[in-house]
Amino acid sequence: MASTFSFELIVKPDRCFRLGRIICWRNKERKVMSTPNFLAYTVRGSVPHLTPDNLREIPVEALEIPLENFLDIQPPPSSLYPHGAHKFFNFEDFMLFFDIRDPGEFKKASFNTDKIVSVSTLQGVCKITSDTYVKYINSYNPDAVISLADMTTFEKTPGLKRIKKSVNRTLDWLDYALANIKEGIQVFGAVVGHNNHEERIRSAQETANKNVAGFLLNGHGLGATSRERLDLLKISINNLPNDKPRIAYGFENPVDILRGIFEGIDIFDGSYPSKKTEEGNALIFTLENEEFISDDTEKSLLLYLHDEKYKTDFRPLLSSCKCYACRNHTRAYIHHLLRTREMLATVLLMSHNLYHYTQFFKKIREHIEKNRFITFVDQFCQRYDDTCESKTIYQIQ
Amino acid sequence: MKSALTWEIVAQCSRTKARVAKLKLPHGVVDTPVFMPVGTQGTLKGLTVKQLEDLDCQIMLNNTYHLGLRPGKEVLEEIGGAHEFQNWKRNLLTDSGGFQMVSLLKLACITEGGVEFQSPHDGSKMLLTPEHSISLQNSIGADIIMQLDDVVSSLTTGPRVEEAMLRSIRWLDRCIIAHKKPESQNLFAIIQGGLDVNLRRRCIEEMKKRETPGYAIGGLSGGEEKDIFWRIVTLCTDLLPKTKPIYCMGVGYTEDLIVCSALGVDMYDCVFPTRTARFGNALTSKGTLNLKTSKFSQDFRPIEEDCDCLTCKTFTRAYIHIHSTRETVGCHLITIHNVSYQLRLMRNIRQAIIENRFPSFIIQSFKDLFDSVDKYPKWAVNALNSVNINLTSESKNP
Ligand SMILES: [Zn+2]
Ligand SMILES: [Zn+2]
Repeated sequence: MASTFSFELIVKPDRCFRLGRIICWRNKERKVMSTPNFLAYTVRGSVPHLTPDNLREIPVEALEIPLENFLDIQPPPSSLYPHGAHKFFNFEDFMLFFDIRDPGEFKKASFNTDKIVSVSTLQGVCKITSDTYVKYINSYNPDAVISLADMTTFEKTPGLKRIKKSVNRTLDWLDYALANIKEGIQVFGAVVGHNNHEERIRSAQETANKNVAGFLLNGHGLGATSRERLDLLKISINNLPNDKPRIAYGFENPVDILRGIFEGIDIFDGSYPSKKTEEGNALIFTLENEEFISDDTEKSLLLYLHDEKYKTDFRPLLSSCKCYACRNHTRAYIHHLLRTREMLATVLLMSHNLYHYTQFFKKIREHIEKNRFITFVDQFCQRYDDTCESKTIYQIQ
Repeated sequence: MKSALTWEIVAQCSRTKARVAKLKLPHGVVDTPVFMPVGTQGTLKGLTVKQLEDLDCQIMLNNTYHLGLRPGKEVLEEIGGAHEFQNWKRNLLTDSGGFQMVSLLKLACITEGGVEFQSPHDGSKMLLTPEHSISLQNSIGADIIMQLDDVVSSLTTGPRVEEAMLRSIRWLDRCIIAHKKPESQNLFAIIQGGLDVNLRRRCIEEMKKRETPGYAIGGLSGGEEKDIFWRIVTLCTDLLPKTKPIYCMGVGYTEDLIVCSALGVDMYDCVFPTRTARFGNALTSKGTLNLKTSKFSQDFRPIEEDCDCLTCKTFTRAYIHIHSTRETVGCHLITIHNVSYQLRLMRNIRQAIIENRFPSFIIQSFKDLFDSVDKYPKWAVNALNSVNINLTSESKNP
């Protein structure tokens, strides 16, 4: 069974940002993920609120499953299913990535040791050894796995000694994964180094020297603003080869995403649409250059559907949107569902938000291809940047 | 009175009183006997209208009391009714709101004018009259609407039962006068009279004269003896006109649906199949599975092998176990299965009646449902006996 995994760069302008494509061949099946893109967020093996028929209405290409969702029982019963994770979770047509931690909800766990990583589960903090991780991944058999990282995310000011240890452990665990993850599962290396420039460079260069399929850059805990986080990640990116994809965690809202892409990130974690759904927000940011000119679109990133003013608003969430919710339902109905705490509220909001997020990335790719990405970013930031850190995003609080 | 439905019986069981009919309503045909899932607030437990259409659900319930509170009459009128509001292109049935009020609001009290209650918003005194109920149901616009009746618990005895029955007749007359859209909405009368055979007779006699498009058997499923329940049901189906649909309110368990269909009931509703999904309970022809329990954590079979619903086609019990009661997806998947189970059961009942093998269908269903003959509920044995099916002896000699 030959399986191949390749990353092609389609457009690589003079700047850092790029347009690419991951092509994954397994068992004679071809799956493609166009980049820039995101990994749809899952909780306990499902995209929140979406049954498979509703998920299939949305052009998602890849999904990420955090293993810690299942580690309250070890071995996880689902890992004993004989036909692998794609089939068990009914994700056969998606490119499937596994990581240990939940990228959308980094809960504080305990300390790690040379052999043990601590994670957060339904039963509280649990421990897993680096070789058990590999064993579980081999039975789930996803398309790609992110190798374990000795994270310093929750340590306020880790000293140089701690950072060096974190880099060394992460590299050791990567070596073990590369030697023991079975053929057909691609291994992504985690690049660490916290806020230390030399260690970030060392981690990036040493990871790049190994036979990894791509890289993971974790922005969580690296600064309060996306700018600060990016400045640190850039040190790593500058030491990574161009021909392999880069995943980043901790960039969520559209302005952060645009900044991240600008610095050369290819793939993001997809927790943003879920978070907005839980708040009762619909994503409505504009996707077209032309729309920046017309002023009838609302100058807000989000529509807060709990607001009483939608009670008799019989328009769809976003009139240009082709998602299931917008084709079939009104703001007034979704407002009603939220007020009455009916579960269909989050089904419809998630359908729209996830769909809109896919369209956002699709437009970004088009803009890069047609060489107008910079104009798009300028206009987008001009329009939204003032508001994006303000209350409209975190209205729920 | 005017009617906005046609009712055509297509098959009749040669032994029992069961029948299959095509009920043509303004939003399409409903095949009866039918189970109607309950979508209280204009939505059915997280299922999309597309999923309900895919399950071939032909009619769903909404609750008038809830829709009256939220989104409210004005919003519904502005958009043109509950079909438009929830984008449901098939049939709807609404209750009068009276039962919900009496059961949800402890302080409700009934006078000749209507149901008096305290507003859940500001505590002020409000009155739901037959006229209000119909006016609200006219705004909602369901294909079948129900009269406001004077609801007493089926355990009540004495003169209050008779009073409620007589008042329900008077209120029916007020509902008929208040009804503004008889050409597009069918008003059903509700037979009252508690567990008293004579009161039921008198009620039916009077209500028959009003010639409503259909009739409901009310005031049951309130904790009364099942052996009395079925006797009232069968009395009503005997006395009501054979040319109109009969709706037994609040019935939804498998054995109840089978028995009542044999007694000649055509329509049912119950919150149970959708409510129980929330607690991880999946219905099967062999009883209920609680998928929360850890024994399913490594059970890689579907909920039911021969179920063709989305859930059973794509997921194992182990998968649903991970989700049940934790993620909404788990609840959605069980709800899809449970609605599919109810609709499939009714489809099978209809098919058996059409092919004139309903008696053997009943025998087999009870065999599947209960471990042994001595576990068959006594009331079901008696009820079926009254329509010429000897459940115990026929189960032994296949
Ligand atoms: Zn939409
Ligand atoms: Zn099923």
